[in-house]
Amino acid sequence: MSTPIVKVEKLRKSYDDKEVVKGISFEVGQGEIFGILGPNGAGKTTTLEMIETLRPIDGGTATINGIDVAKEPQKVRYMIGVQTQSTAFMDKVKLTELLEQQAAAYGEKVNTMALLKDVHLQEKASSFIESLSGGQKQRFSIAAALVHQPKIFFMDEPTTGLDPQARRNLWNLVQKINQAGKGITIILTTHYMEEAEMLCNRVAIMDDGKIVAMDTPQKLVQDLLKKGFKKKHRVEQANLEDVFIDLTGKELGRQ
Amino acid sequence: MKSSWRRDLFTVGVFAKISVRRYFRDRLAIFFTVVFPLIFLFVFGSISKGNNVSFHVGLLNQSSSAFATKFTSDTKANKLFNVDSTVTDLTTAKDRMSKSEIDATIILPPSFGVLKGGVPSGQAQILYDENNAPAAQTISSVIQGELEGVNAQLVKITPPFSVNAQSTNTKGLSKLDYTVSGLLGFSIIGLGIFGPVNYFPEMKKQGVLRRLHITPLRVWQFFVSSVLSNAVIGLFSIGIMIAVASSPLFHFKIVGNYFELGLFIILGILMIFGIGLAIGGWAKNERQAAPLSNIVVFPMMFLSGTFFPRYAMPLWLQHVSAYLPLTPVIDGIRSIATEGQHITQIGPQLGMMAIWTVIIYAIAFRVFRWE
Repeated sequence: MSTPIVKVEKLRKSYDDKEVVKGISFEVGQGEIFGILGPNGAGKTTTLEMIETLRPIDGGTATINGIDVAKEPQKVRYMIGVQTQSTAFMDKVKLTELLEQQAAAYGEKVNTMALLKDVHLQEKASSFIESLSGGQKQRFSIAAALVHQPKIFFMDEPTTGLDPQARRNLWNLVQKINQAGKGITIILTTHYMEEAEMLCNRVAIMDDGKIVAMDTPQKLVQDLLKKGFKKKHRVEQANLEDVFIDLTGKELGRQ
Repeated sequence: MKSSWRRDLFTVGVFAKISVRRYFRDRLAIFFTVVFPLIFLFVFGSISKGNNVSFHVGLLNQSSSAFATKFTSDTKANKLFNVDSTVTDLTTAKDRMSKSEIDATIILPPSFGVLKGGVPSGQAQILYDENNAPAAQTISSVIQGELEGVNAQLVKITPPFSVNAQSTNTKGLSKLDYTVSGLLGFSIIGLGIFGPVNYFPEMKKQGVLRRLHITPLRVWQFFVSSVLSNAVIGLFSIGIMIAVASSPLFHFKIVGNYFELGLFIILGILMIFGIGLAIGGWAKNERQAAPLSNIVVFPMMFLSGTFFPRYAMPLWLQHVSAYLPLTPVIDGIRSIATEGQHITQIGPQLGMMAIWTVIIYAIAFRVFRWE
């Protein structure tokens, strides 16, 4: 792992006496794509929200680039970009205007057309958000989250609800943003194991508020095999999803 | 890098600009802020345009004399009376009176106006319901007065005492002046409270505000940009309202200074919008926002002089309603617009608005939630 840019130590959070994050610790290196996996209610979103300055931290610390999230949230906000689960934006506002507004929240002026081009939405520049498809909205919300060129990008279940093509497009986009470790550091949560395997350099698996395993996807699989695990089915070289993609194509224009 | 306050204001400017643009793309918003108040103007404006006092009466002429016929047509022409021509018999008359649809019935018996010794004579009857005794008294006096006039001509005597009523001839406030300034107040409420109370919880539910919460945008920047866009939209909708009221349709006349009026209206919008910000900013969803906004809005709607002028209320209620936030706004608009006062002359109103503004925004900042 390269120099850590995010450090989380013994982070805790309770809602009404129920502890949902139970003292977790992890570090994310500069340029890494780090995945947090886990079933619903495992505490993934709450963990992310604490690091993102959205929720008060009950115990432990989180630092980003050496800055304590709890003590200097305003400084942290300039360094992070967040793609929320909801892709809703104000209606009756053009995409370029939404980006202009998002950048203005950071006190900045940006080339909105260039940003739209990065996510292949330049033709939609004058459309309102309500006319976009699910995948387009998802890509747009990424562009909006990156207007201020953050160091770290948080994505909360970015592909939930997307069809296979849109999901693959998004994976490509995530890899483009990360530039093979030279670009933006990415922390994402997901339910989809193949997504984690495809994108993440390392993953942490959460269950019931704790991290139960943390390593590279390959290492985790090897560890499991070492324990003598055997899959019930014979592993095919392709699966049904590959068939679907092959038949329907995965070009950007076709979703 | 720009200095920090310039950056902060740049942020505010962009947010305000975009939300004004958004408003002009939203037909529903335009309907509620421009067309809706205009409908009220047409309804209430038409009511207050007519004569201030008039009585609804039934008129039953049972006599066939020439004098009775003339008296009937004179009464119908009298602006003081609004004669219900569908009342043609006593049963209908009594029924209408019991429902207070008419105030009284004037009956001219068969003997009315029959010539006696060369001159017409007779006795008109005023029939009324207990509910309408005061109105019937006035109607009786008016008829009495008219008949005395006739008597004097017929009998040629000079009565020793008489009353001489004279108009002061100064231009006072008409009912329309009260109506228009009240409706401008209603507009400000609609825009400043009903707007954000619906809109903010909606943005929270969708997670639009959450996205802003992640950015360094501060609550005050968000508030100031919202106030600015609301002021622009408010001046637009109120401008249209004043233009229609001043048209030949209603003849509302602004004698005061337009700039001062505009400035005062902006201060009013600033304060009232704070109420919307406080409620909408606090509420997690529409279900929390709706009842609270009704509790806050209804007293102002009925007691601050939006639809009914405050002078018509009992004195104790006038004292209470004087302290509602909207009251000084409506009074101030009327003072500047129709009485031609300067903004420096309405210190009490401005003072009360300043106090309310501080209280309202202190609450709004405390209770605001991004999600």
